[in-house]
Amino acid sequence: MTTRQRPPLPGMQTPTVVEPPSGKELDALFADPPGLWGQLTGVQNDRIGTRLLLTGFFFLLLGGSFDSVVMRLQLAVAENSLVSPQLYNELFTNHGSVTMFLVILPIFEGFAILVLPLLLGTRELPFPRLGAFSYWTFLFGGLLYYSSTLFELVPDAGWFAYTPLSGPEFSPDLALDFWVLGLGVAEVGAIAAAFELIIGILKMRAPGMTLSRMPLFAWAILVMSFMILFAFTPLIIGSLLLELDRGFGMRFFDPERGGSSLLWQHLFWIFGHPEVYIQFVPATGVVSMILPVFTRRRIVGHTWLVAALVAIGFLSFGLWAHHMFTVGLSPLILSFFAAASMAIAIPAGVQIFAWLGTIWSGRPVWRTPFLFVVGFLFVFVLGGITGVMVASPPFDMQAHDSHFVVGHLHYVLIGGVAFPIFAGVYYWFPKFTGKMLDERLGKWNFWLLFLGVNVTFFPMHIVGLMGMPRRVYTYDADVGWGIYNLISTIGVLCLIVPGIGVFVWNVVRSVRRGERAGPNPWGAGTLEWAVPSPPAQHGWTILPIVHGRDPLWDQDELHRGTPRMEQFVRSLAEWPLRWRAGVIVGTADARPQEVFRIAKPSIWPLFAAGAVLVIFLAELLKLRWGIAVGLGVLVAAVIGWNWPEEPPMTVEEEAAFERAHHVPVNAGGSVVVAAWATGIAILFFTIAFGSLLLSYFYLRLENPQWPPGGVADPEFTIAAIAAVLVVAAVAALRGALRRLGASEQRGFVRGLVITLALAVAGTIVQFIDVTGMTFGVGTHAYGSIFHTLSGFLLLLTGGAVVTLVMVLWWTVRGLYTVRRYATVRNVARVYTSVAVMWVIGFATLYLGPYLT
Amino acid sequence: VNQPSGGSLDPQGPVAETIANLWWVMLALGAAIFLLVVVLLGVGLFRERKSAESESEAGERPFRSWLVGGGIVLPVVALVIVLVATIIAMRDVGTGAPSGALRVEIVGHQWWWEIRYPDEGITTANELHIPVGRPIALQVTSGDVIHSFWVPRLAGKIDLLPEETNTLVMEANEPGEHRSECAEFCGLQHAQMALIVVAEPADRFASWVSDQRRPAAEPADVTAELGAQLVVDGDCASCHAIRGTSADGNAGPDLTHFASRPTIGAGAVRNTSANLARWIENPHAIKDGVKMPAPELSDEQFDAVLAYLEMLE
Repeated sequence: MTTRQRPPLPGMQTPTVVEPPSGKELDALFADPPGLWGQLTGVQNDRIGTRLLLTGFFFLLLGGSFDSVVMRLQLAVAENSLVSPQLYNELFTNHGSVTMFLVILPIFEGFAILVLPLLLGTRELPFPRLGAFSYWTFLFGGLLYYSSTLFELVPDAGWFAYTPLSGPEFSPDLALDFWVLGLGVAEVGAIAAAFELIIGILKMRAPGMTLSRMPLFAWAILVMSFMILFAFTPLIIGSLLLELDRGFGMRFFDPERGGSSLLWQHLFWIFGHPEVYIQFVPATGVVSMILPVFTRRRIVGHTWLVAALVAIGFLSFGLWAHHMFTVGLSPLILSFFAAASMAIAIPAGVQIFAWLGTIWSGRPVWRTPFLFVVGFLFVFVLGGITGVMVASPPFDMQAHDSHFVVGHLHYVLIGGVAFPIFAGVYYWFPKFTGKMLDERLGKWNFWLLFLGVNVTFFPMHIVGLMGMPRRVYTYDADVGWGIYNLISTIGVLCLIVPGIGVFVWNVVRSVRRGERAGPNPWGAGTLEWAVPSPPAQHGWTILPIVHGRDPLWDQDELHRGTPRMEQFVRSLAEWPLRWRAGVIVGTADARPQEVFRIAKPSIWPLFAAGAVLVIFLAELLKLRWGIAVGLGVLVAAVIGWNWPEEPPMTVEEEAAFERAHHVPVNAGGSVVVAAWATGIAILFFTIAFGSLLLSYFYLRLENPQWPPGGVADPEFTIAAIAAVLVVAAVAALRGALRRLGASEQRGFVRGLVITLALAVAGTIVQFIDVTGMTFGVGTHAYGSIFHTLSGFLLLLTGGAVVTLVMVLWWTVRGLYTVRRYATVRNVARVYTSVAVMWVIGFATLYLGPYLT
Repeated sequence: VNQPSGGSLDPQGPVAETIANLWWVMLALGAAIFLLVVVLLGVGLFRERKSAESESEAGERPFRSWLVGGGIVLPVVALVIVLVATIIAMRDVGTGAPSGALRVEIVGHQWWWEIRYPDEGITTANELHIPVGRPIALQVTSGDVIHSFWVPRLAGKIDLLPEETNTLVMEANEPGEHRSECAEFCGLQHAQMALIVVAEPADRFASWVSDQRRPAAEPADVTAELGAQLVVDGDCASCHAIRGTSADGNAGPDLTHFASRPTIGAGAVRNTSANLARWIENPHAIKDGVKMPAPELSDEQFDAVLAYLEMLE
């Protein structure tokens, strides 16, 4: 091994990046504080991204590798007694849960948070504190989940936790609560990261990086993030309902009391199927970044690939029931979901052929990232073909829950997801460590894993067709399954385990004494390769100005543009050096819209994540007062987190920059980003509300008698009065906003007070009506869904009222002016949408029984 | 019962045959597509490149036909074939019971199968006798959690749900024995929840039915007499039923013709004297977590219970 620096790959040269002296100041400005305090308060994107990656890989070694080795040892021979049935069930539950919730998702979020600011040509993501919160919740969730081992209460109902097996009757101890609540904390983190990534990708890019020039990795992460929002929210609602059954005696999934075990399957797979694509979509983004670099050619069919990503995102939500082909659905529904499931092969086909075309027309450079991409194509296509097979209901009736599916899903997830992850690590490692991973070890790493995957998982297809079910800890010696299982075990032990070992060794060794990497060791064309390896804390001193899809290949200079644009990016390198400036651009045209202040390090995200942990832990321990404590801390942490800071510069200074560059400056915080965040928060609550409504109508359809015998149809006069009050508050709020716009401070305050009075009155009236109901939550699913949905709406309205009170308080302190009242508008949007949900929700609850 | 078999690829009835045919069609199609992709990949990677060949800016256009042809036309054609084959197969893999079908009700329990022939008035457990050449309409439901019934050589699987009854139609062409394992994870002993399907000619099935309809055999000797007393008047009867006696528990398998069944503990072990003795002594040693407690019996009582159970042919 020599330490000589390799020249960049031939034919490519990297345009120079100008680094003015202010770079040092910016580097210090964007750095987290030193020491332990910095560890706890840090928000810098490299730190958060690296943590997510490392923690994800840690869980991979723990739950992905260790569990599978023990399971394969147990199944190596028939009638083995290495592990007890209980331990085996815990192992496969853990293996599935950890890999699906704690490994792949954080790894891709880590890649995204690490790479995106450099790739998009921006200094940070819009919500660094939300990024930190996302990491803490993920870590705490993972630890809470894994702490079940310490108490010997390890979840044992599978990663899908089907009711009623996972319900209070058949899993009475706390093991399943660790599953629901531990993973619940991590799910909160996933949603937080989705917020950060969606807005970051759409609103924070280099000037000139229009949507059509945006790299495919960013597209993939954008689609992934929207999918997280639409998939994890129903899962959180499903988990909530399961915990209400388990902890509060509700009956959502109890067939004897009007509940339905299939409701869980629907809610779970509305999440669970998109989840597979949530993992696959970013993997294809990585592939699309790497292929052009190692074939020395632009990607074929960029626009087609974007369309394919978006199509996969949409289609993946229309095929969840293909996990339920054996539950007794009608032939019409079976045919629909079969066709929908197969249709996803079309965008996948477009992707495969775009990549094949790229390889065909380019010149392969056989480095490790490229090897993994080629391995990906081979293994993933096989997994895709078996995927079309299991989408056929008659065949699936044989394959479902057999080892055929185990083989299929590992081809998809290892070939389709893990290989691109390895490719991405080999590809981006030099950028963030300044060291190359070793090529020779890399090739060992690849070939061991590539052979290992095929030796391990191919025989599973055969043994599954022969009749071996999934999730069995033993099998009879004389059924002829032994040899296939033995081959699988040998594949894991002799190929996959050494392959992972080589990888770990390569990383450890290269961090210490890897070859030095220059800024662009691969000769790549995207922006992240223009800056030094490792990059400065702020990434970009002078923001790049982008003119094409591969700026490093297309441009000789990265800072050339119109005189006004050049002046803008150069000025931003020198001003302001007292606060962290970020640039918001137009969603499609990427013209600068706003310069805003990015949040500093803060301890509050850690507190907020701790509060979420306390809430879930209190429910786990059935210490219900702890939930109130946690909620209190959470509210305090969120207020502290968003506490308005003294404007770091005067209005005059801001105005001077605006005059010079025609881009507004908002040192107090971004107007655009806040409005987007509000919109996405409303979307989140709407999806949650929609999931509850879906549950209502599902239960309604399952129960011919609704409400159950002995319960009267609801009387809706009082609810109508409450709804009128809540809606009237919207009108009052609109009026108040108009007063603010007209600079009538007192009129605004009066309007706010009237709004609050109406909203609080409506909430109280409704609360009294609901608490006066003659039925409880535990006698029938009717009462469970009635009280849960009304509780959801009352809580949501309560939250909106709290934010209105905060607005009133800050108004009285004179924080808002005609010029700056974006917060007030956002709060008004939230309240309005809550009122709409209120009307739809209570109309459903009070009128639902009259629908026949 | 447990000979190695091709499972779903070795169909023994019309439903499994239809599915196997569908599989072979899809396998052939899938193999062809995979081969095509691998050839394209291999040639793309290793073909000789002219030294002058370099990326031209017009490079994208030739690949428009790849995207349209490979990305859209190829999958659409393949999917239409698969979908048509699927829909044709679905007509044969129906859930409606044809007239003349034998009705059998199956109730899943943790971790055994309750089998009832409502028209014949028979209840048994963990064994399903069916006549060859006659469609069987299985009406399945669950007494606790979700299970799934699956005999790969005869048909696909169907879930046993606590809230509703599902129907699966199957038929055996030839006499033979088939093993069915629970296919939906159902708790601790999911792996030890098997069922033996015995497909037999109509006359043998008829004689099996008439045997099963008889009440339990009367104890023939003093030891068995004592055993009967212990089983019927003791704790056993709170879970097990034995027709012809006062034992009428319903939490565990009906034992009326227990000795004629091929296995103990839902396929856990073969039904031999030695295994039965081990089972009665401590069922958990064979099938950990099974709901049946180990009975407390003196040596003499133990022998008597064994003797009685062994004569329940």
